[in-house]
Amino acid sequence: MQATQSFIARLVTSAIAALAAVAVAGTAGASAPGITGGGTAGASTFDLVAAAGNTSQPDGASIYSWGYGCNTDWSGFAPAAITTANCPAGRMQLPGPTLIVHRGDTVTVTLHNNLPAAAGNTSILFPGFKVTAATTDPGVAGLLTQEAAHGGTVTYSFVADTEGTHSYYSGTQGDLQVEMGLFGALIVLPTNPANTSACANSPVAAAQQVDRGSGPPADFRLANAAFDNAAACYDREYLFQTSEMDPRIHEQAAAQVIAGAHCTQPTGCMSVETEPYHPAYFLLNGRSMPDDLDPNYAMQYPNQPYNANPHLHPGEVMLLRIIGQGRLQHPFHEHANHVRVLARDGHMLLNAASHLSGPLLFTTTTSPGQTIDVLFEYTGKNLNWDIYGHTLNGDGTMAGAKGGDVDFNPGSDCDANGYFTRTPTANNFFEWCGDHKKALESKPFGNVGDGGPVTLPDPNILTNGAWYGGSPYFGPDATARAVGPTPIPPFGTVGNDPGSEAGYAFMWHSHNEREITTNNIFPGGLMTMLLVDPWVYLIDETK
Amino acid sequence: MSSSRIICSGLAAAVLGLFALPAAAQSFRVQCPAGTVLHPADVTADPAITTATEQAKYDTITRPLDLHPAAAPAANLNILGKLNPTPAMANPHIKCQQISGGDGFATMGDGTQTYLFAFGPLSGLNNIVNGRPGTTIASEFLQSNVDATGNVLDVVKVGAPDGRSYPFNGAIGLVPDAQAVDNQDPVTGLNLASVGTELTGHIDPRLAMDVGVLNGSAPAPTIAIDEGDELFLTLTNVGMVMRPDLFEQHTVHFHGYPQASSFYDGVPDASVAINIGGSFTYYYLAPEAGTYMWHCHISPPEHLQMGMVGQIYVRPRQDTIATDASKADKKLYDSLAADNAATALVTKCAVGDLFCSTQTPATSNSVVATASRMYAYNDGDGSTAYDVEYPIQMHGFDPNFHFVGMTFNPESFADNKDKYFLLNGRSYPDTINPEPMKTQSTDGVERYSQPLPTIINIPCLSKAGTTCGDGRALLRISDLNVTEYHTLASLGVPMHVIGYNARLLRDLDGNNTDYYANSIHLAGGESVDVILEAKGLTAGQKFYLYAGELDHLSNDAENFGGMMTEVNICPSTVTASTKTCD
Repeated sequence: MQATQSFIARLVTSAIAALAAVAVAGTAGASAPGITGGGTAGASTFDLVAAAGNTSQPDGASIYSWGYGCNTDWSGFAPAAITTANCPAGRMQLPGPTLIVHRGDTVTVTLHNNLPAAAGNTSILFPGFKVTAATTDPGVAGLLTQEAAHGGTVTYSFVADTEGTHSYYSGTQGDLQVEMGLFGALIVLPTNPANTSACANSPVAAAQQVDRGSGPPADFRLANAAFDNAAACYDREYLFQTSEMDPRIHEQAAAQVIAGAHCTQPTGCMSVETEPYHPAYFLLNGRSMPDDLDPNYAMQYPNQPYNANPHLHPGEVMLLRIIGQGRLQHPFHEHANHVRVLARDGHMLLNAASHLSGPLLFTTTTSPGQTIDVLFEYTGKNLNWDIYGHTLNGDGTMAGAKGGDVDFNPGSDCDANGYFTRTPTANNFFEWCGDHKKALESKPFGNVGDGGPVTLPDPNILTNGAWYGGSPYFGPDATARAVGPTPIPPFGTVGNDPGSEAGYAFMWHSHNEREITTNNIFPGGLMTMLLVDPWVYLIDETK
Repeated sequence: MSSSRIICSGLAAAVLGLFALPAAAQSFRVQCPAGTVLHPADVTADPAITTATEQAKYDTITRPLDLHPAAAPAANLNILGKLNPTPAMANPHIKCQQISGGDGFATMGDGTQTYLFAFGPLSGLNNIVNGRPGTTIASEFLQSNVDATGNVLDVVKVGAPDGRSYPFNGAIGLVPDAQAVDNQDPVTGLNLASVGTELTGHIDPRLAMDVGVLNGSAPAPTIAIDEGDELFLTLTNVGMVMRPDLFEQHTVHFHGYPQASSFYDGVPDASVAINIGGSFTYYYLAPEAGTYMWHCHISPPEHLQMGMVGQIYVRPRQDTIATDASKADKKLYDSLAADNAATALVTKCAVGDLFCSTQTPATSNSVVATASRMYAYNDGDGSTAYDVEYPIQMHGFDPNFHFVGMTFNPESFADNKDKYFLLNGRSYPDTINPEPMKTQSTDGVERYSQPLPTIINIPCLSKAGTTCGDGRALLRISDLNVTEYHTLASLGVPMHVIGYNARLLRDLDGNNTDYYANSIHLAGGESVDVILEAKGLTAGQKFYLYAGELDHLSNDAENFGGMMTEVNICPSTVTASTKTCD
């Protein structure tokens, strides 16, 4: 069977072992939350506002910004499992609300211009769609599209005929209004399941739900495939919108909207220098690292509701919806594995046989206005050592087979792709069979055996990171066996501690490294951490 | 210096103050086993050990690993009661390299001496000064730095290597450890080896510091391995003598490695960072073939801009077909089809698999492997064949930042602006200087700061009249600039783009998606594989590679130079080791 399907489709058998439930707490989840447009089939209707507000940065700065928000207290959200979702009336947010629709929907968006009078008119562009303004609410004519005058409205309508990830942003004085924050994402979900019937119905198998003892884990996906194509199945999804801010532009704007409070010109009364451009903040979903690791809708960021904190289990397929907002290109580097490009600007990259022809990349450039959809997975394949820290006893059995790890025979218990997928409830579900019980270190280190190629260092003579559990191994039991009960220095600072999550952390960040700073302070900026979590750790995107 | 760096340094100082460290002030050591479970030592490889009885006395695995191959193996039994393998028995698929992490100086195209945070070579010095990768097989790496009477070899000295004839490729500092309890029996506690005779991996700190301090280069030492190799890369942090105020750690990030382990990924937040006075050995089984890169991941906006960037590439299995007796017909297609068979779990790349790019083509073109050719990828069709390869790393230096980096002033990042635009650490016209470039350091010693020229010589091969045959040069281009994108354009010779981000350009059905272009555009953190073909050109012609961003054709205030080099069409062939026209 090919790796074109998400992991459940790749399950070979499902034998259930009764194991103790593991209750764990962990860091924030993410997914791609947004708002939906009502219950009418074939139609999605949104009521948005453009308004001013303040966004916060981890250096303590509160930056005057403009953004889109909901004009009324919104009630339709997706994914439904994120119950903390909100979009209160009149409050701007950065980025704007993610609009989630289905292919074929007639999308109607009404925009209320609540920007300060000095800003003049505003508008929304939906690149890639044939947009018309409603005859009943046409707004006023602008250069690129119909606009809403100060205090006025405009209503746009288009058919969402292209699946995938799209951007929307201001079509009025874009050099200023987009810089101020007037942009957002539009996600079009497939409606015809003809080609995606093999996609997983849930990111976690029924057996795993039962085994974890916490009830059915919620499904945080918007759909089970990004496109109506068998290669577009996924188990988890995350939206990454890159942008940047030049604080000098925002300071000038803040001053000029006060001075121009009685402005009546459609073009506004502002004269902000948007060149030369010297951005000092580089953002993922409107937040800088480490704020982007806090939960979605966290109360400390009322105007930046979306985080950027990807998680997955080994073997799961992750969909990344990446949008270049703002005006710079950013080389977004994915540690841990390559990503396969599915689509650009909502159009799949296919060959004549409708099979994928997009490249495999370890750095995905975000270009202004452009979107890409890519797929990612991680299993730790072919490292030549067992990432779970299993080693061979003299009798051929597995040392340290406890805490949810299940021993198996690599010769007979593995699937056609060489993974241990026979026991969904095992912590080492989706272990790469080829390295099972291969030791990493030559001498015993903790309760992990010997025979491997390297000698591991004494952790006391190195500097240990906050996402490092104290051993090279994956999973709480593996780490605990390696390091024992003794915490490693600096004590008590492990964010990813051996007692609970104990996954692998990888940095995903701009490789224009000057951009992983927050107003010249490292670390910060356009950076996040991917967490590969062991299967005992149930990923909860609401936290 | 950023405010967070002050905090980090302060924390490091506090940690040093609070804990009585179990190790001495330094803990330098290398790891490079002669045999592993995957690649056992070859006990038949040492000509001095000829009989089966003698060979049977030797273990094929260095176990425990601290007990490295014996320099004088007699009577040094390991815990299994066997002799450890000698360096001569080392399996050639075990590749080792040692690098320093510290500082150094480089010379820019306008003659300016520029301060670097940098990696330098601490093994393979002969290779490095001759422009080759510093990676060596274990038997070459495992050479004692002292002679039979205990005197340090003449070649291990301040300023080494001292020229292109410098002979030594072994690990700098590797000496028998006079105090090591090498071979303690875990049951009895008895030491089974005679003390002080074996290369345990112990590094004499004086020797490592003599060679390593201020020996940083731009770019960092090149690493080259073959698919299936085990790489043991030891980073030895010698500190930065120009910045005694910094407690600077370093790491190695294997940029672009698929299915990386976070432990060996080099991100200090997710793993360990190596303090001054310490060594750490990174271990990877070579991943699928491709052009990767490596760099320090401590405070990347600072350490990468300051120069801690290097090249690493992996050559494909396909290179071995020509010499593999088990592959009788030598057809590339047949070999790839076998590697992609349903049961070949480790190597297979099935049609339709999203996460690999060497799917078997729909039909065989019957191309056979030839010993004179190499391949960039396991292509199965010969489309990535080449005769000579050129690693080219694009980078840029902001002289203001480097000046601040040498002094004790606060750094800013957002307004970094590069003024030197580099190919392999040099600007034109230094890029076409065939010699390794030296720079005098603050101690008055000249060191090889920029060993790699970027002269592209393409073989003409069999000519028809004056028109060249199918000679091909592979450009392994990687970019680790940290401030902006670069375009590299080719005048006269089309660029055949066959790989991108260390993956063959091929769709999920096995159709190639390669293309021809006159320029490539890439960001820091990207790589691209380009073949320049001599076909149709004339021997003796000269062409140019240059930056499409024309302001990058400058060396700071000089309105000339920058990111540019020359491409020569050679009369016939190119010598692989020197990359000169024959």
